[in-house]
Amino acid sequence: MTKRARSLLRIPQGTEAFYLEEAYRHRKLTLHIEEIMYRWGYLPVQTPVFDFFEVYEPLFSGTDERNIYRLIDREGDLLMLRSDITLFLARQMGMVLTEEDLPVRACYFDTILRHQHAEDISKNEFFQAGAELIGRPGLRGDLEIVLLMHEVLTSLPLPECRYHVGSHALFEACFGHLEPAEKGRIRHLITVRDRSELAEELHMRGTGEQGARFLCELFMLIGEGSDLAQIARSGASRRLLAGPAENAIRHLQSVFDVLTELGVENFFRVDLSEVGRQPYYTGIVFQAFMDGMDDSVASGGRYDSLLSTFGFSAPSVGFSMMLRKLETALTDGSRYNVQEKPISATGVTSEDDSMESVAQAHRKAQEIRRRGGSATL
Amino acid sequence: MNRAPKVAPLTIALPKGRLLDRFNEHLASRGITISFEDRKLIAEDDSHKLRGFLVKNTDLPVYVHHGIAGLGVCGEDVLYESGYDFFRLLRFSFGNTRMCLAARAGANGRKENDTSRLAVATKFTRFTRDFFQARGIPVEIIKLNGSVELAPLLGLAPYIVDLVETGSTLQANNLTIVEELEKIGVYLIANPAYYKFHFRRVDELVNLLDEHGGGITRGGAT
Repeated sequence: MTKRARSLLRIPQGTEAFYLEEAYRHRKLTLHIEEIMYRWGYLPVQTPVFDFFEVYEPLFSGTDERNIYRLIDREGDLLMLRSDITLFLARQMGMVLTEEDLPVRACYFDTILRHQHAEDISKNEFFQAGAELIGRPGLRGDLEIVLLMHEVLTSLPLPECRYHVGSHALFEACFGHLEPAEKGRIRHLITVRDRSELAEELHMRGTGEQGARFLCELFMLIGEGSDLAQIARSGASRRLLAGPAENAIRHLQSVFDVLTELGVENFFRVDLSEVGRQPYYTGIVFQAFMDGMDDSVASGGRYDSLLSTFGFSAPSVGFSMMLRKLETALTDGSRYNVQEKPISATGVTSEDDSMESVAQAHRKAQEIRRRGGSATL
Repeated sequence: MNRAPKVAPLTIALPKGRLLDRFNEHLASRGITISFEDRKLIAEDDSHKLRGFLVKNTDLPVYVHHGIAGLGVCGEDVLYESGYDFFRLLRFSFGNTRMCLAARAGANGRKENDTSRLAVATKFTRFTRDFFQARGIPVEIIKLNGSVELAPLLGLAPYIVDLVETGSTLQANNLTIVEELEKIGVYLIANPAYYKFHFRRVDELVNLLDEHGGGITRGGAT
Protein backbone atom coordinates (compact mmCIF):
# COMPACT_ATOMS: atom_id res chain seq x y z
CA MET A 1 0.00 0.00 0.00
CA THR A 2 1.36 3.44 -0.89
CA LYS A 3 1.95 6.15 1.70
CA ARG A 4 -0.81 8.18 0.07
CA ALA A 5 -3.29 5.29 0.26
CA ARG A 6 -2.40 4.74 3.91
CA SER A 7 -2.89 8.40 4.76
CA LEU A 8 -6.34 8.35 3.14
CA LEU A 9 -7.37 5.54 5.46
CA ARG A 10 -6.46 7.42 8.63
CA ILE A 11 -9.28 9.06 10.59
CA PRO A 12 -8.38 11.68 13.20
CA GLN A 13 -9.77 10.90 16.67
CA GLY A 14 -12.79 12.98 17.59
CA THR A 15 -14.14 13.57 14.09
CA GLU A 16 -17.10 12.07 12.31
CA ALA A 17 -18.65 12.18 8.87
CA PHE A 18 -22.01 10.75 7.94
CA TYR A 19 -23.70 10.67 4.60
CA LEU A 20 -26.90 10.72 2.57
CA GLU A 21 -29.68 8.71 4.29
CA GLU A 22 -28.01 8.88 7.69
CA ALA A 23 -27.31 12.60 7.33
CA TYR A 24 -30.91 13.12 6.16
CA ARG A 25 -32.23 11.39 9.26
CA HIS A 26 -29.93 13.49 11.45
CA ARG A 27 -31.19 16.70 9.80
CA LYS A 28 -34.84 15.67 10.17
CA LEU A 29 -34.30 14.87 13.82
CA THR A 30 -32.57 18.20 14.35
CA LEU A 31 -35.46 20.00 12.62
CA HIS A 32 -37.94 18.16 14.86
CA ILE A 33 -36.12 19.34 17.99
CA GLU A 34 -35.71 22.85 16.54
CA GLU A 35 -39.47 23.06 16.02
CA ILE A 36 -40.08 22.22 19.68
CA MET A 37 -37.52 24.80 20.79
CA TYR A 38 -39.11 27.48 18.59
CA ARG A 39 -42.54 26.73 20.05
CA TRP A 40 -41.05 27.30 23.50
CA GLY A 41 -39.76 30.69 22.34
CA TYR A 42 -36.12 29.77 21.75
CA LEU A 43 -34.18 31.20 18.80
CA PRO A 44 -31.05 29.73 17.26
CA VAL A 45 -27.52 30.91 17.94
CA GLN A 46 -24.54 30.02 15.78
CA THR A 47 -21.21 30.05 17.58
CA PRO A 48 -17.73 30.27 16.01
CA VAL A 49 -15.79 27.08 15.39
CA PHE A 50 -12.72 28.40 17.21
CA ASP A 51 -11.86 31.07 19.72
CA PHE A 52 -8.95 32.20 21.89
CA PHE A 53 -8.02 29.52 24.40
CA GLU A 54 -7.13 31.99 27.17
CA VAL A 55 -10.74 33.24 27.29
CA TYR A 56 -11.95 29.85 28.53
CA GLU A 57 -8.86 28.47 30.27
CA PRO A 58 -9.95 29.29 33.86
CA LEU A 59 -13.16 27.31 33.33
CA PHE A 60 -11.64 23.99 32.37
CA SER A 61 -11.02 20.99 34.55
CA GLY A 62 -7.93 18.88 33.80
CA THR A 63 -9.75 16.27 31.72
CA ASP A 64 -11.66 18.82 29.66
CA GLU A 65 -8.50 20.73 28.91
CA ARG A 66 -6.62 17.63 27.77
CA ASN A 67 -9.37 16.83 25.27
CA ILE A 68 -9.37 20.23 23.59
CA TYR A 69 -7.81 20.64 20.17
CA ARG A 70 -5.59 23.71 20.13
CA LEU A 71 -3.86 25.56 17.31
CA ILE A 72 -1.76 28.68 16.82
CA ASP A 73 -2.97 31.54 14.62
CA ARG A 74 -0.80 33.71 12.38
CA GLU A 75 -0.18 36.22 15.21
CA GLY A 76 1.00 33.43 17.50
CA ASP A 77 -2.13 33.38 19.69
CA LEU A 78 -3.36 30.06 21.01
CA LEU A 79 -6.77 29.10 19.68
CA MET A 80 -9.10 26.27 20.62
CA LEU A 81 -11.66 24.44 18.57
CA ARG A 82 -15.25 24.46 19.88
CA SER A 83 -15.40 21.62 22.40
CA ASP A 84 -18.50 22.70 24.33
CA ILE A 85 -21.15 24.94 22.86
CA THR A 86 -22.43 26.29 26.20
CA LEU A 87 -19.10 27.99 26.82
CA PHE A 88 -18.84 29.48 23.35
CA LEU A 89 -22.45 30.62 23.52
CA ALA A 90 -21.96 32.24 26.93
CA ARG A 91 -18.98 34.16 25.55
CA GLN A 92 -20.92 35.36 22.49
CA MET A 93 -23.99 36.31 24.51
CA GLY A 94 -21.81 38.07 27.06
CA MET A 95 -20.50 40.32 24.28
CA VAL A 96 -23.79 41.28 22.65
CA LEU A 97 -26.53 41.25 25.30
CA THR A 98 -27.74 44.19 27.38
CA GLU A 99 -30.04 44.27 30.43
CA GLU A 100 -32.95 45.31 28.22
CA ASP A 101 -32.66 42.17 26.12
CA LEU A 102 -33.31 39.83 29.05
CA PRO A 103 -34.61 37.22 29.31
CA VAL A 104 -33.13 35.65 26.18
CA ARG A 105 -33.97 32.15 25.02
CA ALA A 106 -31.26 30.64 22.81
CA CYS A 107 -30.94 27.21 21.26
CA TYR A 108 -28.14 25.61 19.29
CA PHE A 109 -27.47 22.61 17.08
CA ASP A 110 -23.88 22.14 16.10
CA THR A 111 -20.84 19.95 15.93
CA ILE A 112 -18.26 19.89 18.66
CA LEU A 113 -14.64 18.88 18.28
CA ARG A 114 -12.79 17.26 21.10
CA HIS A 115 -10.16 14.58 21.34
CA GLN A 116 -11.58 11.13 21.80
CA HIS A 117 -9.49 8.18 22.84
CA ALA A 118 -9.35 5.40 20.26
CA GLU A 119 -11.19 3.03 22.60
CA ASP A 120 -13.95 5.62 23.15
CA ILE A 121 -14.91 5.56 19.50
CA SER A 122 -18.53 4.66 20.21
CA LYS A 123 -19.20 7.55 22.59
CA ASN A 124 -20.75 9.63 19.80
CA GLU A 125 -20.02 13.02 21.31
CA PHE A 126 -19.85 14.86 18.03
CA PHE A 127 -23.01 16.93 17.93
CA GLN A 128 -24.62 18.99 20.66
CA ALA A 129 -28.16 20.32 20.70
CA GLY A 130 -29.31 22.44 23.58
CA ALA A 131 -31.09 25.41 25.03
CA GLU A 132 -30.03 28.25 27.31
CA LEU A 133 -32.38 30.53 29.21
CA ILE A 134 -30.44 33.70 29.98
CA GLY A 135 -31.62 36.27 32.51
CA ARG A 136 -34.26 34.18 34.27
CA PRO A 137 -33.36 33.34 37.90
CA GLY A 138 -35.16 31.04 40.29
CA LEU A 139 -37.72 28.29 40.15
CA ARG A 140 -39.47 29.36 36.96
CA GLY A 141 -36.25 29.35 34.93
CA ASP A 142 -35.10 26.00 36.33
CA LEU A 143 -38.42 24.36 35.57
CA GLU A 144 -38.70 25.81 32.09
CA ILE A 145 -35.37 24.24 31.12
CA VAL A 146 -35.98 20.91 32.84
CA LEU A 147 -39.44 20.59 31.30
CA LEU A 148 -38.20 21.60 27.84
CA MET A 149 -35.56 18.87 28.02
CA HIS A 150 -38.25 16.41 29.11
CA GLU A 151 -40.52 17.43 26.24
CA VAL A 152 -37.75 17.06 23.65
CA LEU A 153 -36.76 13.62 24.91
CA THR A 154 -40.31 12.30 25.27
CA SER A 155 -41.27 13.58 21.81
CA LEU A 156 -38.73 11.22 20.25
CA PRO A 157 -39.15 7.45 19.86
CA LEU A 158 -36.63 6.71 22.59
CA PRO A 159 -36.59 4.42 25.62
CA GLU A 160 -37.79 6.22 28.75
CA CYS A 161 -35.37 8.56 30.45
CA ARG A 162 -34.81 9.09 34.13
CA TYR A 163 -33.62 12.54 35.15
CA HIS A 164 -31.37 12.74 38.18
CA VAL A 165 -31.61 16.18 39.74
CA GLY A 166 -29.19 17.52 42.33
CA SER A 167 -27.90 20.84 43.53
CA HIS A 168 -24.51 22.46 43.15
CA ALA A 169 -25.76 25.14 45.54
CA LEU A 170 -26.10 22.49 48.27
CA PHE A 171 -22.55 21.32 47.60
CA GLU A 172 -21.25 24.91 47.75
CA ALA A 173 -23.18 25.57 50.95
CA CYS A 174 -21.51 22.56 52.60
CA PHE A 175 -18.01 22.69 51.10
CA GLY A 176 -17.60 26.17 49.57
CA HIS A 177 -15.25 27.22 52.37
CA LEU A 178 -12.62 24.62 51.44
CA GLU A 179 -9.51 25.21 49.34
CA PRO A 180 -10.09 24.50 45.61
CA ALA A 181 -8.04 21.28 45.68
CA GLU A 182 -9.88 19.94 48.74
CA LYS A 183 -13.22 20.95 47.27
CA GLY A 184 -12.32 19.24 43.99
CA ARG A 185 -11.39 16.05 45.83
CA ILE A 186 -14.69 16.00 47.74
CA ARG A 187 -16.65 16.78 44.58
CA HIS A 188 -14.97 13.84 42.85
CA LEU A 189 -15.71 11.48 45.73
CA ILE A 190 -19.37 12.52 45.74
CA THR A 191 -19.67 12.24 41.95
CA VAL A 192 -18.24 8.71 41.94
CA ARG A 193 -20.31 7.89 45.05
CA ASP A 194 -17.33 6.77 47.11
CA ARG A 195 -19.05 6.62 50.45
CA SER A 196 -16.17 5.26 52.52
CA GLU A 197 -13.47 7.54 51.10
CA LEU A 198 -15.79 10.52 51.45
CA ALA A 199 -16.42 9.76 55.12
CA GLU A 200 -12.66 9.43 55.67
CA GLU A 201 -11.91 12.65 53.81
CA LEU A 202 -14.52 14.60 55.79
CA HIS A 203 -13.22 13.16 59.02
CA MET A 204 -9.71 14.26 58.05
CA ARG A 205 -10.99 17.78 57.42
CA GLY A 206 -12.22 17.99 61.00
CA THR A 207 -15.88 17.13 60.47
CA GLY A 208 -17.09 15.18 63.52
CA GLU A 209 -18.12 11.55 63.13
CA GLN A 210 -21.83 12.30 63.26
CA GLY A 211 -21.49 15.21 60.82
CA ALA A 212 -19.38 13.15 58.39
CA ARG A 213 -21.93 10.34 58.45
CA PHE A 214 -24.80 12.77 57.90
CA LEU A 215 -23.06 14.52 54.97
CA CYS A 216 -22.19 11.15 53.40
CA GLU A 217 -25.78 9.95 53.56
CA LEU A 218 -27.02 13.32 52.33
CA PHE A 219 -24.84 13.41 49.23
CA MET A 220 -25.39 9.71 48.46
CA LEU A 221 -29.17 10.14 48.43
CA ILE A 222 -31.05 8.99 45.35
CA GLY A 223 -34.78 9.03 45.85
CA GLU A 224 -37.98 10.95 45.43
CA GLY A 225 -39.13 14.47 46.16
CA SER A 226 -40.63 13.34 49.45
CA ASP A 227 -37.16 12.31 50.66
CA LEU A 228 -36.18 15.98 50.62
CA ALA A 229 -38.99 16.85 53.01
CA GLN A 230 -37.75 14.12 55.35
CA ILE A 231 -34.24 15.52 55.26
CA ALA A 232 -35.47 19.04 55.90
CA ARG A 233 -37.48 17.82 58.92
CA SER A 234 -34.71 15.70 60.43
CA GLY A 235 -33.03 16.85 63.60
CA ALA A 236 -29.55 16.20 62.17
CA SER A 237 -30.33 18.44 59.23
CA ARG A 238 -31.47 21.27 61.46
CA ARG A 239 -28.38 20.91 63.62
CA LEU A 240 -25.81 20.43 60.88
CA LEU A 241 -26.98 22.40 57.85
CA ALA A 242 -26.68 26.16 57.71
CA GLY A 243 -29.12 28.54 56.01
CA PRO A 244 -27.79 28.33 52.41
CA ALA A 245 -27.88 24.51 52.49
CA GLU A 246 -31.44 24.55 53.83
CA ASN A 247 -32.39 26.98 51.09
CA ALA A 248 -30.86 24.71 48.43
CA ILE A 249 -32.86 21.74 49.72
CA ARG A 250 -36.03 23.83 49.92
CA HIS A 251 -35.50 24.97 46.34
CA LEU A 252 -35.16 21.38 45.12
CA GLN A 253 -38.31 20.54 47.06
CA SER A 254 -40.15 23.31 45.21
CA VAL A 255 -38.91 21.95 41.87
CA PHE A 256 -40.23 18.50 42.74
CA ASP A 257 -43.53 19.95 44.03
CA VAL A 258 -44.17 21.47 40.60
CA LEU A 259 -43.10 18.28 38.79
CA THR A 260 -45.56 16.36 40.99
CA GLU A 261 -48.30 18.90 40.30
CA LEU A 262 -47.68 18.35 36.57
CA GLY A 263 -47.80 14.56 36.97
CA VAL A 264 -44.29 13.93 35.59
CA GLU A 265 -42.54 13.22 38.88
CA ASN A 266 -41.99 9.55 38.02
CA PHE A 267 -39.45 10.55 35.40
CA PHE A 268 -37.43 12.51 37.96
CA ARG A 269 -35.27 11.42 40.85
CA VAL A 270 -33.64 13.47 43.55
CA ASP A 271 -29.95 12.62 43.35
CA LEU A 272 -27.75 14.69 45.63
CA SER A 273 -24.60 13.03 44.26
CA GLU A 274 -25.31 15.13 41.16
CA VAL A 275 -23.24 18.20 41.97
CA GLY A 276 -22.46 19.29 38.40
CA ARG A 277 -19.91 18.03 35.91
CA GLN A 278 -18.68 21.54 35.20
CA PRO A 279 -17.21 23.87 37.80
CA TYR A 280 -19.32 26.82 36.61
CA TYR A 281 -22.67 25.49 37.87
CA THR A 282 -24.24 27.41 40.75
CA GLY A 283 -27.70 25.92 41.39
CA ILE A 284 -29.80 23.03 40.17
CA VAL A 285 -27.89 20.39 38.13
CA PHE A 286 -29.21 17.36 36.30
CA GLN A 287 -28.42 14.47 33.99
CA ALA A 288 -30.70 12.31 31.86
CA PHE A 289 -30.06 8.57 31.83
CA MET A 290 -31.43 5.95 29.48
CA ASP A 291 -31.18 2.18 29.58
CA GLY A 292 -28.36 0.79 27.44
CA MET A 293 -26.39 4.03 27.23
CA ASP A 294 -22.76 4.27 28.32
CA ASP A 295 -23.20 7.78 29.72
CA SER A 296 -25.89 10.38 30.31
CA VAL A 297 -27.67 11.48 27.13
CA ALA A 298 -28.34 15.02 28.29
CA SER A 299 -27.16 17.23 31.13
CA GLY A 300 -27.37 20.76 32.34
CA GLY A 301 -27.90 23.12 35.19
CA ARG A 302 -27.93 26.68 36.45
CA TYR A 303 -24.83 28.80 35.95
CA ASP A 304 -25.54 32.26 37.34
CA SER A 305 -21.91 33.46 37.25
CA LEU A 306 -20.71 32.05 33.92
CA LEU A 307 -21.68 35.01 31.74
CA SER A 308 -19.96 37.44 34.09
CA THR A 309 -16.70 35.61 33.23
CA PHE A 310 -17.27 37.06 29.77
CA GLY A 311 -18.17 40.58 30.90
CA PHE A 312 -21.96 40.47 31.29
CA SER A 313 -23.77 39.24 34.36
CA ALA A 314 -27.04 37.36 33.91
CA PRO A 315 -28.45 34.37 35.81
CA SER A 316 -28.79 31.51 33.35
CA VAL A 317 -29.80 27.91 33.12
CA GLY A 318 -29.55 25.44 30.25
CA PHE A 319 -29.10 21.92 29.02
CA SER A 320 -27.35 20.16 26.19
CA MET A 321 -27.81 16.75 24.66
CA MET A 322 -25.52 14.58 22.61
CA LEU A 323 -27.70 14.14 19.55
CA ARG A 324 -25.60 11.48 17.80
CA LYS A 325 -25.75 9.37 20.95
CA LEU A 326 -29.55 9.70 21.01
CA GLU A 327 -29.78 8.69 17.35
CA THR A 328 -28.29 5.31 18.22
CA ALA A 329 -31.11 4.77 20.74
CA LEU A 330 -34.10 5.56 18.50
CA THR A 331 -36.49 2.65 18.85
CA ASP A 332 -38.26 3.57 15.61
CA GLY A 333 -36.36 6.08 13.56
CA SER A 334 -38.43 5.41 10.46
CA ARG A 335 -40.33 8.67 10.63
CA TYR A 336 -37.02 10.50 10.12
CA ASN A 337 -35.91 8.29 7.24
CA VAL A 338 -36.14 9.16 3.55
CA GLN A 339 -39.77 8.22 2.90
CA GLU A 340 -39.68 7.42 -0.81
CA LYS A 341 -37.22 7.37 -3.66
CA PRO A 342 -37.47 10.38 -6.01
CA ILE A 343 -39.41 9.74 -9.22
CA SER A 344 -37.41 9.88 -12.43
CA ALA A 345 -39.09 12.44 -14.70
CA THR A 346 -37.00 11.27 -17.66
CA GLY A 347 -38.62 7.87 -17.90
CA VAL A 348 -37.72 5.64 -20.83
CA THR A 349 -36.14 8.47 -22.83
CA SER A 350 -33.25 8.79 -20.40
CA GLU A 351 -30.68 8.36 -23.19
CA ASP A 352 -32.25 11.18 -25.20
CA ASP A 353 -30.36 14.41 -24.48
CA SER A 354 -32.25 16.48 -27.02
CA MET A 355 -33.45 19.94 -26.02
CA GLU A 356 -37.11 18.88 -26.21
CA SER A 357 -36.60 15.78 -24.09
CA VAL A 358 -34.65 17.57 -21.31
CA ALA A 359 -37.15 20.45 -21.22
CA GLN A 360 -40.07 18.04 -21.09
CA ALA A 361 -38.46 16.06 -18.28
CA HIS A 362 -37.80 19.26 -16.32
CA ARG A 363 -41.44 20.38 -16.72
CA LYS A 364 -42.64 16.97 -15.55
CA ALA A 365 -40.26 16.96 -12.58
CA GLN A 366 -41.39 20.43 -11.54
CA GLU A 367 -45.00 19.28 -11.65
CA ILE A 368 -44.19 16.32 -9.36
CA ARG A 369 -42.32 18.64 -6.97
CA ARG A 370 -45.22 21.13 -6.97
CA ARG A 371 -47.49 18.28 -5.85
CA GLY A 372 -45.13 17.62 -2.94
CA GLY A 373 -43.20 14.69 -4.39
CA SER A 374 -39.51 14.54 -5.15
CA ALA A 375 -38.27 14.05 -8.69
CA THR A 376 -35.03 13.84 -10.64
CA LEU A 377 -34.26 14.63 -14.25
CA MET B 1 -54.09 -13.27 33.37
CA ASN B 2 -51.83 -10.64 34.93
CA ARG B 3 -48.20 -11.17 34.34
CA ALA B 4 -45.47 -8.93 35.67
CA PRO B 5 -43.55 -7.37 32.77
CA LYS B 6 -40.37 -9.27 32.02
CA VAL B 7 -37.41 -7.40 33.42
CA ALA B 8 -34.13 -7.72 31.56
CA PRO B 9 -31.39 -9.25 33.70
CA LEU B 10 -28.61 -7.08 35.06
CA THR B 11 -25.48 -7.47 32.97
CA ILE B 12 -22.12 -8.28 34.50
CA ALA B 13 -18.68 -8.77 32.96
CA LEU B 14 -16.70 -11.54 34.63
CA PRO B 15 -12.97 -12.11 34.31
CA LYS B 16 -11.70 -15.42 32.97
CA GLY B 17 -9.45 -17.37 35.29
CA ARG B 18 -9.06 -17.81 39.01
CA LEU B 19 -11.06 -14.75 39.95
CA LEU B 20 -14.11 -16.17 38.18
CA ASP B 21 -14.01 -19.31 40.32
CA ARG B 22 -13.76 -17.27 43.50
CA PHE B 23 -16.61 -14.99 42.46
CA ASN B 24 -18.80 -17.93 41.41
CA GLU B 25 -18.24 -19.56 44.79
CA HIS B 26 -19.32 -16.37 46.49
CA LEU B 27 -22.32 -16.03 44.19
CA ALA B 28 -23.34 -19.64 44.86
CA SER B 29 -23.19 -18.99 48.60
CA ARG B 30 -25.87 -16.35 47.99
CA GLY B 31 -28.01 -18.74 45.96
CA ILE B 32 -27.10 -17.58 42.45
CA THR B 33 -25.34 -19.75 39.89
CA ILE B 34 -24.07 -18.65 36.51
CA SER B 35 -22.71 -21.62 34.57
CA PHE B 36 -20.92 -21.04 31.31
CA GLU B 37 -21.44 -24.03 29.06
CA ASP B 38 -18.42 -25.37 27.23
CA ARG B 39 -16.67 -22.48 25.43
CA LYS B 40 -19.72 -20.22 25.70
CA LEU B 41 -18.99 -16.69 26.80
CA ILE B 42 -22.51 -15.55 27.72
CA ALA B 43 -24.70 -17.15 30.39
CA GLU B 44 -27.62 -16.31 32.67
CA ASP B 45 -28.43 -17.52 36.14
CA ASP B 46 -31.54 -19.70 36.57
CA SER B 47 -33.71 -16.87 37.85
CA HIS B 48 -32.64 -14.59 34.97
CA LYS B 49 -31.50 -11.87 37.33
CA LEU B 50 -27.95 -11.74 36.02
CA ARG B 51 -26.46 -12.14 32.55
CA GLY B 52 -22.73 -12.73 32.66
CA PHE B 53 -20.18 -12.05 29.92
CA LEU B 54 -16.88 -13.85 30.17
CA VAL B 55 -14.09 -11.48 29.15
CA LYS B 56 -10.35 -11.16 29.39
CA ASN B 57 -9.35 -9.52 32.65
CA THR B 58 -7.77 -6.47 31.04
CA ASP B 59 -10.69 -5.97 28.64
CA LEU B 60 -13.26 -5.94 31.43
CA PRO B 61 -13.12 -2.17 32.13
CA VAL B 62 -13.66 -1.49 28.41
CA TYR B 63 -16.93 -3.47 28.39
CA VAL B 64 -18.19 -1.74 31.52
CA HIS B 65 -17.02 1.71 30.41
CA HIS B 66 -19.04 1.38 27.21
CA GLY B 67 -22.08 0.11 29.10
CA ILE B 68 -22.06 -3.23 27.25
CA ALA B 69 -21.93 -4.78 30.70
CA GLY B 70 -23.40 -2.60 33.43
CA LEU B 71 -21.45 -4.29 36.21
CA GLY B 72 -18.14 -6.07 36.50
CA VAL B 73 -15.86 -7.93 38.89
CA CYS B 74 -12.38 -6.53 38.63
CA GLY B 75 -9.10 -6.10 40.46
CA GLU B 76 -7.97 -2.63 41.43
CA ASP B 77 -4.79 -3.06 39.38
CA VAL B 78 -6.76 -3.47 36.16
CA LEU B 79 -9.15 -0.66 37.07
CA TYR B 80 -6.26 1.72 37.64
CA GLU B 81 -4.58 0.86 34.37
CA SER B 82 -7.83 1.46 32.46
CA GLY B 83 -8.01 5.08 33.62
CA TYR B 84 -11.81 5.03 33.63
CA ASP B 85 -14.07 6.16 36.46
CA PHE B 86 -16.42 3.49 37.76
CA PHE B 87 -18.57 3.19 40.84
CA ARG B 88 -17.08 0.63 43.21
CA LEU B 89 -20.05 -0.98 44.88
CA LEU B 90 -18.38 -3.68 46.99
CA ARG B 91 -14.92 -4.83 47.92
CA PHE B 92 -14.67 -8.59 48.07
CA SER B 93 -12.65 -10.46 50.66
CA PHE B 94 -11.10 -12.72 48.02
CA GLY B 95 -8.44 -11.91 45.45
CA ASN B 96 -6.44 -9.59 47.71
CA THR B 97 -2.91 -9.06 46.57
CA ARG B 98 -0.08 -6.50 46.71
CA MET B 99 1.58 -4.31 44.10
CA CYS B 100 5.30 -4.56 44.84
CA LEU B 101 8.64 -3.24 43.66
CA ALA B 102 11.05 -6.18 43.36
CA ALA B 103 14.68 -6.74 42.37
CA ARG B 104 17.23 -9.58 42.28
CA ALA B 105 18.02 -10.78 45.77
CA GLY B 106 20.93 -8.72 47.09
CA ALA B 107 20.96 -6.39 44.09
CA ASN B 108 18.85 -3.54 45.49
CA GLY B 109 21.15 -0.54 45.61
CA ARG B 110 18.46 1.98 46.52
CA LYS B 111 18.41 3.64 49.90
CA GLU B 112 15.36 4.93 51.75
CA ASN B 113 14.17 8.30 50.38
CA ASP B 114 16.30 7.76 47.27
CA THR B 115 14.87 9.98 44.51
CA SER B 116 17.32 9.02 41.76
CA ARG B 117 16.10 7.69 38.42
CA LEU B 118 14.51 4.26 38.47
CA ALA B 119 14.26 1.75 35.61
CA VAL B 120 11.33 -0.62 35.92
CA ALA B 121 9.84 -3.38 33.79
CA THR B 122 6.13 -3.87 34.38
CA LYS B 123 2.68 -4.63 33.02
CA PHE B 124 1.32 -1.82 35.16
CA THR B 125 2.76 1.23 33.42
CA ARG B 126 0.16 3.77 34.50
CA PHE B 127 0.32 2.77 38.15
CA THR B 128 4.14 2.71 38.12
CA ARG B 129 4.44 6.11 36.47
CA ASP B 130 1.90 7.77 38.78
CA PHE B 131 3.20 6.12 41.94
CA PHE B 132 6.84 7.11 41.51
CA GLN B 133 6.14 10.51 39.99
CA ALA B 134 4.00 11.33 43.06
CA ARG B 135 7.14 10.61 45.11
CA GLY B 136 9.25 12.85 42.89
CA ILE B 137 11.15 9.91 41.39
CA PRO B 138 11.77 9.95 37.62
CA VAL B 139 10.94 6.52 36.29
CA GLU B 140 11.87 4.80 33.05
CA ILE B 141 9.29 2.16 32.24
CA ILE B 142 9.64 -0.87 29.99
CA LYS B 143 6.24 -2.30 29.17
CA LEU B 144 5.96 -6.09 29.33
CA ASN B 145 2.90 -8.30 29.00
CA GLY B 146 3.94 -11.28 31.11
CA SER B 147 6.77 -13.21 32.81
CA VAL B 148 7.96 -9.90 34.21
CA GLU B 149 10.27 -11.74 36.65
CA LEU B 150 12.62 -12.43 33.76
CA ALA B 151 13.49 -8.76 33.29
CA PRO B 152 15.97 -8.39 36.21
CA LEU B 153 17.37 -11.88 35.62
CA LEU B 154 18.18 -11.21 31.97
CA GLY B 155 19.28 -7.62 32.50
CA LEU B 156 16.36 -5.85 30.79
CA ALA B 157 15.71 -3.70 33.87
CA PRO B 158 17.00 -3.92 37.45
CA TYR B 159 13.51 -3.56 38.97
CA ILE B 160 10.01 -4.82 38.33
CA VAL B 161 6.62 -3.66 39.58
CA ASP B 162 4.21 -6.56 39.74
CA LEU B 163 1.40 -8.17 41.71
CA VAL B 164 2.56 -10.44 44.49
CA GLU B 165 0.20 -12.88 46.16
CA THR B 166 2.37 -15.39 48.05
CA GLY B 167 5.80 -14.35 46.81
CA SER B 168 6.67 -17.88 45.69
CA THR B 169 7.22 -16.92 42.03
CA LEU B 170 9.61 -14.17 43.08
CA GLN B 171 11.44 -16.54 45.37
CA ALA B 172 11.70 -19.22 42.70
CA ASN B 173 13.39 -16.69 40.43
CA ASN B 174 15.76 -15.37 43.07
CA LEU B 175 13.93 -12.06 43.35
CA THR B 176 13.01 -10.21 46.50
CA ILE B 177 10.44 -7.56 47.44
CA VAL B 178 12.07 -4.15 47.79
CA GLU B 179 8.88 -2.41 48.82
CA GLU B 180 5.15 -3.07 48.99
CA LEU B 181 3.64 -0.15 47.06
CA GLU B 182 -0.11 -0.72 47.42
CA LYS B 183 -2.65 -3.25 48.63
CA ILE B 184 -4.87 -4.39 45.77
CA GLY B 185 -8.47 -5.56 46.21
CA VAL B 186 -11.21 -6.97 43.98
CA TYR B 187 -14.34 -4.90 43.48
CA LEU B 188 -17.84 -5.12 42.13
CA ILE B 189 -17.88 -2.12 39.80
CA ALA B 190 -20.64 -0.36 37.88
CA ASN B 191 -20.81 1.88 34.86
CA PRO B 192 -22.03 5.16 36.47
CA ALA B 193 -24.88 5.71 33.98
CA TYR B 194 -25.98 2.08 34.31
CA TYR B 195 -25.97 2.31 38.08
CA LYS B 196 -28.00 5.53 38.03
CA PHE B 197 -30.65 4.10 35.73
CA HIS B 198 -30.93 0.76 37.55
CA PHE B 199 -29.88 1.86 41.03
CA ARG B 200 -32.67 0.08 42.93
CA ARG B 201 -32.03 -3.31 41.32
CA VAL B 202 -28.26 -2.92 41.55
CA ASP B 203 -28.54 -1.99 45.23
CA GLU B 204 -30.64 -5.13 45.77
CA LEU B 205 -27.88 -7.22 44.21
CA VAL B 206 -25.25 -5.46 46.29
CA ASN B 207 -27.25 -6.11 49.44
CA LEU B 208 -27.67 -9.75 48.46
CA LEU B 209 -23.94 -10.18 47.89
CA ASP B 210 -23.28 -8.26 51.09
CA GLU B 211 -26.08 -9.85 53.11
CA HIS B 212 -24.13 -11.83 55.68
CA GLY B 213 -21.03 -9.70 55.76
CA GLY B 214 -18.78 -12.59 54.83
CA GLY B 215 -15.74 -10.34 54.62
CA ILE B 216 -17.23 -7.98 52.08
CA THR B 217 -17.03 -4.31 52.87
CA ARG B 218 -19.05 -1.58 51.22
CA GLY B 219 -16.77 0.16 48.78
CA GLY B 220 -16.78 3.42 46.93
CA ALA B 221 -15.51 4.31 43.51
CA THR B 222 -12.38 4.48 41.42
